[in-house]
Amino acid sequence: MPKQTWLALALAALVLLPGCITEEDALAPGEEGVVQLSVWHSFAAESKEEAAFRAHIAAFEAANPGVEVDVTGVPFAEADRQFMIAAQGGEAPDLVRLSSDQLGKIGDVRVSGQPLLEDLRPHLTPNERSSYDVRALHAMRYEGALLGLPASQDCLSLLYNPLLFDTAGVGYPDASWTHEDLLQAAMDLTAGDVQGLAMPVKDAYWWFGFQAGFGGALFDANGTPTLDSNGSAEAMRWVVGLEQVHGVVLQGTQSESMKTQFLSSKAAMIVDGPWNWATYEAGRIPVQQTLLPTVGIDGDRIAPLVTYKGWSVAKQSEEKVWATKLALHLSSAEVQRTFALETYTLPTHVEVYDDPAVVEDPVLSGFLEQLMVGTPAPTTRGMALVYDPLVSAFENVYAGTMEAEEALRRADEALEADLAEAAA
Amino acid sequence: MKRMAVLFAVLALSGLVAAEAQDLSADGDAGYRQVTLEWSMAGGEVEGTVFEVWTNASNAFDLELATLHSTVMVGPTEGLAQPPLGAWYDDCSANGPTGTAEPVHRHPNGTAVVPLGTTDIRCVLTGMPPGEEVAIAVRTVLPDGQASLSEVVLSTSSGEDDLVGALPTSPYLFAIGSIVLSLIALLAGLRWLDARDGRTSSRSAHLFIAPALIALAVLTFYPVLYGMWLALTDADQSRLGEQAFIGFGNFVEVVRTSGFLRVTAFTLVWSVVNVTAHIVVGLMLAMALNSSSLKGRGAYRTVLLLPWAVPSYISVLVWRGMFEPAGIINDLLGTELNLLADPAGARLAVILVNIWLGIPFMMMSISGALQALPQDMYEAAEMDGAGPWTQFTNLTLPNLRSALVPLSLLGFIWTFNMFNVIYLMTDGGPNLDFDGPGSTDILITYVYDVAFRDGAYGVAAAWSVVIFLMLVAFSWTYMQRTNATEAVA
Repeated sequence: MPKQTWLALALAALVLLPGCITEEDALAPGEEGVVQLSVWHSFAAESKEEAAFRAHIAAFEAANPGVEVDVTGVPFAEADRQFMIAAQGGEAPDLVRLSSDQLGKIGDVRVSGQPLLEDLRPHLTPNERSSYDVRALHAMRYEGALLGLPASQDCLSLLYNPLLFDTAGVGYPDASWTHEDLLQAAMDLTAGDVQGLAMPVKDAYWWFGFQAGFGGALFDANGTPTLDSNGSAEAMRWVVGLEQVHGVVLQGTQSESMKTQFLSSKAAMIVDGPWNWATYEAGRIPVQQTLLPTVGIDGDRIAPLVTYKGWSVAKQSEEKVWATKLALHLSSAEVQRTFALETYTLPTHVEVYDDPAVVEDPVLSGFLEQLMVGTPAPTTRGMALVYDPLVSAFENVYAGTMEAEEALRRADEALEADLAEAAA
Repeated sequence: MKRMAVLFAVLALSGLVAAEAQDLSADGDAGYRQVTLEWSMAGGEVEGTVFEVWTNASNAFDLELATLHSTVMVGPTEGLAQPPLGAWYDDCSANGPTGTAEPVHRHPNGTAVVPLGTTDIRCVLTGMPPGEEVAIAVRTVLPDGQASLSEVVLSTSSGEDDLVGALPTSPYLFAIGSIVLSLIALLAGLRWLDARDGRTSSRSAHLFIAPALIALAVLTFYPVLYGMWLALTDADQSRLGEQAFIGFGNFVEVVRTSGFLRVTAFTLVWSVVNVTAHIVVGLMLAMALNSSSLKGRGAYRTVLLLPWAVPSYISVLVWRGMFEPAGIINDLLGTELNLLADPAGARLAVILVNIWLGIPFMMMSISGALQALPQDMYEAAEMDGAGPWTQFTNLTLPNLRSALVPLSLLGFIWTFNMFNVIYLMTDGGPNLDFDGPGSTDILITYVYDVAFRDGAYGVAAAWSVVIFLMLVAFSWTYMQRTNATEAVA
């Protein structure tokens, strides 16, 4: 047979041979006795949170000599999508940090009939579970399964730069403020290139709290969408009006640009979470915090959405026992205390709530007080799908192509249609 | 007196003995990391009695070394939640005086609560070490602090973990291998035919083509064929690996999508405007740079190549910042435009940015073609009195046709599927349509949303097939009309 034919046959065999190799054959065996865990975190690169996290990983490895942990950072906004893609390709990490409002989407995904996240209920004793705030633990459940251990929680609150208030001769905000007081102060503070308030008026996450304050709700007790509930349209008009009517918010403000504004003292107040507090302090902003105001003197307080971040174990993990131990360690009282005091990350461990250092810290206690009047984000399919229709609603109202009532009604219909399609 | 003391002691002791957990039994076959524990009470417990379940990872139970697992309290249950079995984090049930087993009530802090009169308790203990023997005991603590320990039972959680099997890759590898083998057989057959017909000079040609053809088969043909098959199934993120054949249902959904015509129209406008601008401006700049009288051509060429040299990811993000209301464009123009928030403005912005990005490539490609043109025909034309415009229309353009036709075709195909500019500039927004593409979405960016945000893989594959067919139809028609293949030959 000619040489080229032999060459062709050899090439064909080389191409077909991988098909004979099974997944088990392909995996290289790990060093005997060593447990290897892969962990994806979503802390900002080179942040204090990441540094604290890596220190606690090292402590876990030191306490468990037979365990090696490989750490990878993924962008927070992409963590759920990257995890789903990796899991669908059979390459999920053992442990991943996710937000409670991401669980509703991941919870529905199936690969060959299997979910992507492990139900942690069989892995925990009741005593271990009792360490966590009940609300936080419940927020990590989707359709009954416990998909993560809560390690932190957060919500928006009202932060302000007292120096700019002093310059303008305006009194500092406090818990007695109403939304009209907030608007008036913002108007008094807006002068030159300084804005009274910084917040992204088209972002639904910022609007949720105002919707609750004006008497609306995202869902009813049965989980049915109520985006057009009483007060929702008024809240939307009021929020968008901050930029378009009163000019107290800089045109086109987004969540990243508002941080820059506040850091460069171009905004006197900002509706923001605790995650940027350390950045503001590092930028020498004498930032202070107070509760978001009430709507009217006797009205409800603006109740921001409370979301939880936690550690989830992949269903594909072959080291679920160790992955759960690591998740317990990363959400333990000791680790949460460190995060709270060093990075202002709000804890979910009941023991840390009562820690004197936490109670006496004005930042932590202030945000914890805000959390108590916040609304826990439901971990439901609806919550995972709510953002897309609201994006369109806000774009239409902002562009002036639709009134708020009509926009929210259309958004509600779109969400109900999406939920019906997902259930089919 | 003595009898009274004895009676009192018996009564006191009988209360303690009756409140102690008795008849413990454990079953390790309750599920992964779970053990079922049952115990009974002879009666006599009082409100406030707490049953503490302790575990010790050893067959020798030592309360000092044991770990508190869970607690069950005896107390009033009015107003407490009673989640059904399976709804809570673990399952606990209790038999009352009637003998009927009911789920326990739950205190707001999660503690299990059973009413007075409970005779038996059955709990599924979670968090057990898999495959390891565990010693379990129940410690009864009375309201006055007195405590007693039950007998110790041993159990091993024998339930298996529901491990996810490795995704089957062998069928895909075999499919790819089969395609490659078929191509090798085809090339071998063609080579044999050439040898038989005496075309010996082309003997090695098939061998040279083989690597490229095999790479195309693996990286292009197979994914395209797989995508076409996926488009005929109901694959989505909730049933990946278990999709079923549904025929052309996804294509019907594509055509019925709200905004289908709008996004297709914008994609065509986007492609035609961009390619036209690229060629016109690229040609003008190429001709200017080709002029021998232009001083500093090297410097101009370097500067004009910068949009191509800088990674487009960075350029697009910079442009996005410049178009912001607080960006430099408003500063320079003295305006307060918010282009990216307006549908028409956003479309204009993305088109301008893509034109800026695409000109250098066209300029360099046309410049190369210009330099290959013979200069003597221009000299002859000049001697015949032809002016610059006449030379351009009658000499330059016809001679550039063989370069411009494939360039424009490639440019159209690339621009038609230009994902990154749209994604990074506007992410398809502003999105005024509640159920459809955004104002600046082109077909490919909308397909991305359908696939990776909605998780509708089958529908996204159908969209991809529609895009593919559009481009094939356009390319075929364009090549036929321009005789492109004849020009290349």
